Amino acid sequence: MGNFAQRHPFWATVIAAAVAIALWLIFAVWPGWLVDLIGSKKLFLNALFNGITLGALYFLVASGFTLIFGLMRNVNLAHGSLYLFGGYIGYEFANWTGYWLLAFPAAFIIVALLGVLMQLFVFQRMEGQELRQTLVTIGISIVFADLLLWIWGGDFYNIGLPSWLSGPMDTFLITGVSRRTGEFLFLKYPMVRIVIFAASVVVGIAMWLLLNRTRIGMIIRAGVDDRDMLAATGVRIQLVFAGVFAFGAGLAGVAGVVGGSFQSLAPGEDIRFLLASLVVVIVGGMGSIPGAALGALIIGTAEQFGSVYFPTYAVVLTFIIMVAVLAFRPQGLLGRA
Amino acid sequence: MNVPPPNSRMSANGVGNALELRGVGKVFGALAALSDIDMTVRPGERRAVLGSNGAGKTTLFNCITGDFFATTGSIRFFGEDISSFPAYERTRRGLRRTYQISLLFTALSVLDNVYLACNGVSRGRFSFRRPQRNDAVLESAEMLVRMVHLENVRDTLVSDLSHGQQRQLEIAMALSGAPRFILFDEPAAGLSPGERRELVEILTNLPSHVGFIIIEHDMDVALRVAEFVTMMHDGRIFKEGKPAEIEDDPEVQALYLGGEGRG
Amino acid sequence: MANVDTQTRGLSSPSWIERIPAYYYFIGIILIAMPVFAGDFVLFQIFGWTFILGIISLSLMFLAGYGGMVSLAQMTFAGLAGYLVAIFGNSAIDTISQGWPWYVAIPLAILIAVLFGTIVGWLAVRTEGIYTIMITLAVASAFFYFTRQNYVVFNGFSGFNGVLPPELFGIDWRHPVAFYYLTLFWALAAYFSVVYLSRAPFGLALQGVRDNARRMAALGYNVTAHRVAAYSFAALLAAIGGILLTWQSAQISPGTAGIGPAIDILVIAVIGGLRHPIGPFIGAFIYVLLKTFAIDVLISLGLSGERFQLLIGLGFLVIVFWSPDGILGLWQRLQDSRGRDPLTGRGRRGV
Repeated sequence: MGNFAQRHPFWATVIAAAVAIALWLIFAVWPGWLVDLIGSKKLFLNALFNGITLGALYFLVASGFTLIFGLMRNVNLAHGSLYLFGGYIGYEFANWTGYWLLAFPAAFIIVALLGVLMQLFVFQRMEGQELRQTLVTIGISIVFADLLLWIWGGDFYNIGLPSWLSGPMDTFLITGVSRRTGEFLFLKYPMVRIVIFAASVVVGIAMWLLLNRTRIGMIIRAGVDDRDMLAATGVRIQLVFAGVFAFGAGLAGVAGVVGGSFQSLAPGEDIRFLLASLVVVIVGGMGSIPGAALGALIIGTAEQFGSVYFPTYAVVLTFIIMVAVLAFRPQGLLGRA
Repeated sequence: MNVPPPNSRMSANGVGNALELRGVGKVFGALAALSDIDMTVRPGERRAVLGSNGAGKTTLFNCITGDFFATTGSIRFFGEDISSFPAYERTRRGLRRTYQISLLFTALSVLDNVYLACNGVSRGRFSFRRPQRNDAVLESAEMLVRMVHLENVRDTLVSDLSHGQQRQLEIAMALSGAPRFILFDEPAAGLSPGERRELVEILTNLPSHVGFIIIEHDMDVALRVAEFVTMMHDGRIFKEGKPAEIEDDPEVQALYLGGEGRG
Repeated sequence: MANVDTQTRGLSSPSWIERIPAYYYFIGIILIAMPVFAGDFVLFQIFGWTFILGIISLSLMFLAGYGGMVSLAQMTFAGLAGYLVAIFGNSAIDTISQGWPWYVAIPLAILIAVLFGTIVGWLAVRTEGIYTIMITLAVASAFFYFTRQNYVVFNGFSGFNGVLPPELFGIDWRHPVAFYYLTLFWALAAYFSVVYLSRAPFGLALQGVRDNARRMAALGYNVTAHRVAAYSFAALLAAIGGILLTWQSAQISPGTAGIGPAIDILVIAVIGGLRHPIGPFIGAFIYVLLKTFAIDVLISLGLSGERFQLLIGLGFLVIVFWSPDGILGLWQRLQDSRGRDPLTGRGRRGV
């Protein structure tokens, strides 16, 4: 980061200023003119944190997508289908066992298994033919979308939360001053979203540690850098591929359970999350996990702020961000040139 | 250790020189592929760049042509600073290059390949109209094909050519338009002795105003066509001199031949 | 996937008129005489739609086959042109439609669509090839969501209806026979312009860029400019197809250029084959037949008529697996095994 500040002093100052303003907006008591200008602080904080937690969800989906592309150069356009499938599996499992937590391993394992099958029986045969692989993923997504529609229909599914997760949590953030007592009012925020955010951070850190501190991570990073060289070292590259695909798919499945818990599952969500992954990865940079995190944060908050403050043009905001990144830094914010 | 080539006209801003490199370096991550390259080539000069594998010869070429940008230093081409120009701008100013491994359009015919090369430096690049029979670019393409003795395979797909024929086509591509300076990257690689003789003939018969630099491992070919030799080692220029001097130089022999044949 | 077969004795071949094989003329005559023996439904719904989808898919094939760039935004360019014709010209939504005459509305719509295509192209081509699919898909989805939410210009969810072609020469161009010839004309125009262009310097340079962008840059070509120019041309083709499409159903809505249709265009182009401009039309014909008769097929198989997407998806997967070059690839293999040149039908001349 110090390096970045040295080389791009202008942008570093801009970012520092933006962070300072953001911190003030979050922690300070808002003066009256600000409330008149953009609405209540509560609205702002809700939008901000909803955006961050949505970003956490996007991160879970997008990181699997970017990992699969980074290593295997496979643009997996069936990723959204894996998300939705995982969500439905989680729903069924949670209902069957009555335990919400069990939905996660169930979704992860089943979708990861599907991922292994896809890699071994389909993509492995098309090694090196990137376009063909992508076309196959398109075909798979079409077929899957219809199968899922057939089995689960067009209704909205919601995975029920356990009691210890539902309901709001008190935070220490000030939303205003009570007119009656003059005491500070604090923000109440849904517990489930805070937990999901925390869990995503843990997953993100775990992935970072895996990639940067373990031997298998080193192998994966080497493969992202130069696949042929890695194969030449004698590593069983097909195993690595299958493993990474499985992990990426499983992650998407888990994200499906998350999405099904605090949003809902329905046909069309697969496309929505695929597109979100695409935009997140375009903005953040392909093949980069930190890029996926940054991109997810930006897109998630942009989407939420857009839908709260300019509802008819929310889409435009996200699109403008994507176009700006493509125009000025085509490889993504944290992507390699 | 830089010995200026004989009779170099080094004016204050080097306008008289075809190619002038000052302090050129290229770094890949932690690897310094090129360091401190100072090189001056006159117009019409025939220069050979020799060195063992990994000496940085092809990297040097890539920096000059603009395949990638040098990390440090400046490159002047006929007095103009081309250091920040993209590859196609450098080509349009008369710089050409052949590749160690032929970069040809395998799905197109010999004539189509040469036509593309000739068209790249002409005005009709975006033309929507098919070339008429007497189109100037088409004619120069046909002429080039004849010049490198490939007229009997003019309509053959490149993928169906022999290795030697492909190398000949590489040369034809480099001669397209009105080149002022050409970089030949190991043109003799994989050629039979007869083909090598033909190659030497083509190179020595190039118009005298067209200078070139040739990278070669085959010392025979290189020393026969070059007036001056630059030896590279580990990304730096190690020695420069006339072919005969270099051939007899003990340090060069030590490096190349492992200490045999001293004196 | 194989390169486009450019009939590579390209520049030195005899003029293209001489090279068209006999059976093309035969097909041409049948096409022109079609209204004599085909009913209104077949003319309007089957052939009209085939030609329209063929034109739009041809624009994708041009970019993918000759340029090596797979764009999922072709339907978006088509949809934009269709929307603009409704907005600038006449429709049932007279609060938005400007009512300008056709000779203003249509060229303006095409111009803006081409401009949009150029910008999208510029955004998409400066990154590695495989990203173009992602970027163009994102563009297509943004367009879909935007037109669905925007009521001021695009009339949101309902879109525009009552969008009719102008009555030129006193002809109702939506009459099946007239519409058939209209779409046939534009399909032929699109087809031949692509065939001709592929062997002009522009097309040749584009293929060079596809095969070896690095070499092209070293030969003096501005690779980015060529790619963007290809997008402009492709957007032109797509715009024409989009306007015809809007006239065919007399309406346009967000779903017309949605993500499903955008992907369908790719499916059509791949099924037909990316090797030659006739491929997209073959693919479009198959798609239209399936879409029209699939319900009956599905019901006869015991499945609900709703499972159309499943059928398309499976068919697509089968093609990509066994013949990545689509129908044309299958045809080529058949001809190869009989020792014949696949596009002229003559015996192979050898190298």
